[in-house]
Amino acid sequence: MAELIEIKDVKKIYHVGAEDVHALDGITLTMKKNEYLAIMGPSGSGKSTLMNLIGCLDTPTSGSYRFNDREVRDLSDDELARIRNKEIGFVFQTFNLLPRADAAHNVELPLIYAGIPRADRRRKVEQALEAVGLAERARHRPSELSGGQRQRAAIARALVNEPSVILADEPTGNLDSKTGEEIMQVFEKIHGAGNTIILVTHEEYIARHSGRIIRLRDGLVESDVSV
Amino acid sequence: MQVSESLRIAVVNLRVHKVRSLLTILGTVIGVMSVIAIVSIIEGMNKYVSERLLEEGSNTFYVDKFGMITDYQEYLDALKRKDLTVDDARALERLSTSILVVGSLAQGRNNVRYGSREVSSVEVRGVDEGFQAASTVEVEHGRFLSREDVLRRRPVCVLGSDVRDKLFAGLDPLGKEVRVGRHRFSVIGVAEKKGSLLGVSQDSNVMVPLTAFQKAFGSRSAVTLIAKARDQESLQLAQDEARAILRARRKVPFSKPDDFSILSAETFMELYKNFTSTAYLVTVGIAALSLVVGGIVIMNIMIVSVTERTKEIGIRMAVGARRAEIMFQFLIESLILSGAGGVIGVLVGVGLAALISNVTPLPAAVKAWAVGTGLLVACGVGAFFGIYPAARAAKMDPIVALRYE
Repeated sequence: MAELIEIKDVKKIYHVGAEDVHALDGITLTMKKNEYLAIMGPSGSGKSTLMNLIGCLDTPTSGSYRFNDREVRDLSDDELARIRNKEIGFVFQTFNLLPRADAAHNVELPLIYAGIPRADRRRKVEQALEAVGLAERARHRPSELSGGQRQRAAIARALVNEPSVILADEPTGNLDSKTGEEIMQVFEKIHGAGNTIILVTHEEYIARHSGRIIRLRDGLVESDVSV
Repeated sequence: MQVSESLRIAVVNLRVHKVRSLLTILGTVIGVMSVIAIVSIIEGMNKYVSERLLEEGSNTFYVDKFGMITDYQEYLDALKRKDLTVDDARALERLSTSILVVGSLAQGRNNVRYGSREVSSVEVRGVDEGFQAASTVEVEHGRFLSREDVLRRRPVCVLGSDVRDKLFAGLDPLGKEVRVGRHRFSVIGVAEKKGSLLGVSQDSNVMVPLTAFQKAFGSRSAVTLIAKARDQESLQLAQDEARAILRARRKVPFSKPDDFSILSAETFMELYKNFTSTAYLVTVGIAALSLVVGGIVIMNIMIVSVTERTKEIGIRMAVGARRAEIMFQFLIESLILSGAGGVIGVLVGVGLAALISNVTPLPAAVKAWAVGTGLLVACGVGAFFGIYPAARAAKMDPIVALRYE
């Protein structure tokens, strides 16, 4: 079976003033379907950049990134948007929910851009909210939800289009440890349901929930250990 | 993405900023409103004036030595011209084949009194026996001035209905004696009411025999000829004949222009059209200006809105919105803004036109094309000035937008 993610000698260089910053300095890694991967590293190690590349929000300066057997560098803006929409679900540290829309509408957003008819959208939104245990709070706006509930809504949004991979960037960073643990339970549950998850974190106990830990340092893979 | 979603987003965002949205569309509202109001009034006046002029008799024309005077020098030059006379009127009748009848008219203003009642500044008309046939005066009560009255210089008069109402207030005026200035005239008839033209009453006058007029108020007063062509088709021919006959009688050299002028309903209409087309241009100019200013305001607010919602744009891009969809969303928003401005402008403009036609004598006719153009232009403004902010939103880097606080 083909790899879901195939990264070969990927470099990302930012031009900051006259200086070149090597955010990623030649990364190679592969990832299969239904893996649960954690990316760790100190700040400045390049983990956010790697996340953005994997999430097709950005493209590498050099090297090859194949996602589902397609070379991402060759894709147009619209094709990247389509991959983000159908293949990738983002979960952010700061939740990134639309403040003026209720939980259900936030979850519905990827379906709208996917052009799915209204009746199907409603059903899928219900299912996703059910899966994260937020069905009761569907009609509440983010400001009326607790931090944990907001993150559940965000996870439901990431799940709703049945993506190939869920990318979670410090999903517990803005939550107390008890709520964080609850959120990790949610991730474990959806991993159990067959989803592929990439988790970025700098907390050891959070990373332990995954099946494989990749440590980055200075834009390079320092270690790649299966737990 | 569905249009309904874009509309929903736009409406939600505009609702959140109600006051800001209202202020934003003010320029568009004013632009569209002034177009609708002014076009309605001008169109109403056009309709009204052309109807009234046609009613006045489309186969009559006027000849006098002044014509349409537009500046003081012209007036001074015209003053030096020879007066037209009743003899000219008779000559036109005799020599022209297409002129049916010619009336003569001399005008002045004077106070009219009956007993202790007085009407000031009444138009006093000295008319000859051809006047009634050439113009559209009808008598409602009594009789009109006859040939005999004119020949014998009888001190009799026909009152306009306004003057009758003010002096006699329900009494029968026939046979009574009124004083026009220092001169006494007995009332022999009352003219039929003609109503008002652009707020000026057509019934505030007294008609007396031309001969009596000249005896009382001076024989040197200029005479206007009112000629009636046989029918509408021969109107132009009748005017040409009148011109030839009068040039001959007044011995105007071949190389000189007419020293008199011929005015018909068409001449008035043309002059009027000239005036209103200028008014149209001025309106269009003002409206265009306020629409451009309104458009810039919309652009400015949309830029603010795009900046405020940078994070939202980032989120939408992260969940799969294409750049075109982001662009479309913001374009829809500026279109809704300007479209709302257009609709409000139309409503206020129509209301304003209705108000003006109610409280002033100006009539108003709301034109569908003006409403359509107003709305279309408003939306066009929104679309045009919305392009730049929307493009700015669509060009954002999703990573930078997501990080924006």
